[in-house]
Amino acid sequence: MELDVRGEICPYPMMKAVEAMKKLNGTDSVVVITDHAPCLETIPPQAGRYGYICEIEETGSPEWKISLIPEGGR
Amino acid sequence: MAYKIETNTNQPANMPGLLRTHNLAAICVLLASLSLALVMSGMESILAPLWLLGMTAGFTLQRSRFCFASAFRDLFLFGSSRMLKGILVGLAVATIGFSINMYGMILDPKFGALPPQANILPFGISTVIAGVIFGFGMVISGGCVSGSLYRMAEGYISSWVSIGGVLIGLGLLSQNWNWWWSTFISNEPKIWLPSKLNLGYGGSVLITLTIIISVFLIVLWWESRAGLSMPSIKRKEEPDDTFNEKLGVLWNTIFVRGWSPILGGAILGGIGIFMYMTHMPWGVTGELSRWSNNIMTFMNIAPPDALGLSDLGGCAGRAGETGFFTHTFAVTVGVLPGSLIAALFSREFKLRFPQNRKRYIQALGGGVIMGYGAGLGIGCTVGAFFSSVPSLSLSGWLFAISLAFGAFVGVQAIKRIS
Repeated sequence: MELDVRGEICPYPMMKAVEAMKKLNGTDSVVVITDHAPCLETIPPQAGRYGYICEIEETGSPEWKISLIPEGGR
Repeated sequence: MAYKIETNTNQPANMPGLLRTHNLAAICVLLASLSLALVMSGMESILAPLWLLGMTAGFTLQRSRFCFASAFRDLFLFGSSRMLKGILVGLAVATIGFSINMYGMILDPKFGALPPQANILPFGISTVIAGVIFGFGMVISGGCVSGSLYRMAEGYISSWVSIGGVLIGLGLLSQNWNWWWSTFISNEPKIWLPSKLNLGYGGSVLITLTIIISVFLIVLWWESRAGLSMPSIKRKEEPDDTFNEKLGVLWNTIFVRGWSPILGGAILGGIGIFMYMTHMPWGVTGELSRWSNNIMTFMNIAPPDALGLSDLGGCAGRAGETGFFTHTFAVTVGVLPGSLIAALFSREFKLRFPQNRKRYIQALGGGVIMGYGAGLGIGCTVGAFFSSVPSLSLSGWLFAISLAFGAFVGVQAIKRIS
C-alpha cells in the first residue's frame, strides 16, 4: 500500500501511516512518500508499536520513501 | 529492529559540492542579510546584533525542526515528548542567563521594582483564556506563530496562510483589546517570583528549575507508557579519514542532518539570553501586531488606542514602535533569512502546496484563532512562555498549562477532520 503524503505536514503523515498499519495489521507493507523532513523522526518510532520495521530511502531533495514492512517478512 | 537510511540521490550532500545551486543560493541570501545588517547598523547600532540573533534563531529553528505546536500536540496525540524535552532544556538554560541579567538590573527584588524589558505578564483569567485559545489554534493550523514563520521560509504555502490568519486574529483582538483590558487584564497582578515570599533570585531559580526537571521526568514517564522508542539507526557510512572527509562530516552534521530538539532548545535558550542582554527577550507577536495595526490603519479601520498596553512589557507592548526597521522587526523578520539559509544548505527548501484543500481552511482558521490568543496573551509560545518562564514570571507557567489544555482540545478536533 502506498501513501503519497507530499505537501502534508505534521501530524498528518504520521497519523495516516499509523492508520494504514492498524488497518493492514501486518498483512502488507506501507510505503510513505513525503517531502516533510520531521516525518523521518516521527514515523519510525510508531513502526515498532504495530509490529513493523522501518527503512528510509532518500529519493529526492527533499523527498523520502519510508517503507514500513511487517516484522514477519515482506 | 532494522532501520536504515539509504541515500539514492544523484547529488550526495558533501563538502566539495559547495558550488551547487542550492549552496550558492544560501550564500547569496546570507550575503544579502549581512548587507542589510550593515544598512540597519547605520540607522541604529543595536539593530545589527538583534537582526543577527534573529537570523541565528531562524537557522536553529529550521535545523532542529523546532515546533512548539508539536511539543504540546504530540504528547496527547502519540505520547511523544521528543520536542517538549527540547523546550524544557531551553527554558532551563534561559532561566539561568535571564536571572543573572535581571540581577544586574534589580539588585534587591523585594523593593518592588520589576526588571525592565523582562516578559513579566499579567497573571489571571486572561492568561488562561489566551493560552487555551492559542493552544487550540496552533494545533488546528499545524504550527504556532514562530513555527509558521520559519516554515514560510522553507516554502510551506500553508504557513503563509497561517501567518495571514494570525494577522487577522491580532487585528480582531486589537479592535476589542480595551474591553479585555477593562474587564480582566487591568485587575490582574504581575507575579514576579523573586519579589514574592522572600524567595529572591536563588529561591526563584531553584523553584523554576525544580518544576522544569519534574515536568521533564513526568513526560519521560508518559512516553514510556506509550511504548514509543526510536529504532536503532544504521547510517550510511561516511568516510572520515582525510582532512577533506572530516570537513565533509562536519559540514553534514551542521548543515545537512537535522539537529536534536534538545540541542536546538539549548541554543534557542542561549539566543534568548543574548537578545535580552542586547535589549529585550525574544518575541514575535509584537512585530506582527504592528503589521496588523498598520494594515488596518491603511484600510481606515485603525483600532482604538490600546489602554495600558505600553506598561505591560512583553511582545505586544512594543508594537507601538514606529518606522520600518525596529527592534521587533530585527528579531522577528530575521528568522526568515536564517531559516531560508538553513533550508537551502540542507536541500529542504521546496514550495509545498497542500493537496488536501481542507488544510488551507485549517491554516487560516487556526491562524485567526491563534492570532487572537497571541494578542490577548501579549505574546505567543515564544513571548508569553519561552521568554516569560525564564523572566521568573508566574504567568509563563499558567500560559503553558492553558496551552496544553487548548492543544488537548485541538487534538480531539483534528482526529475528526484528518
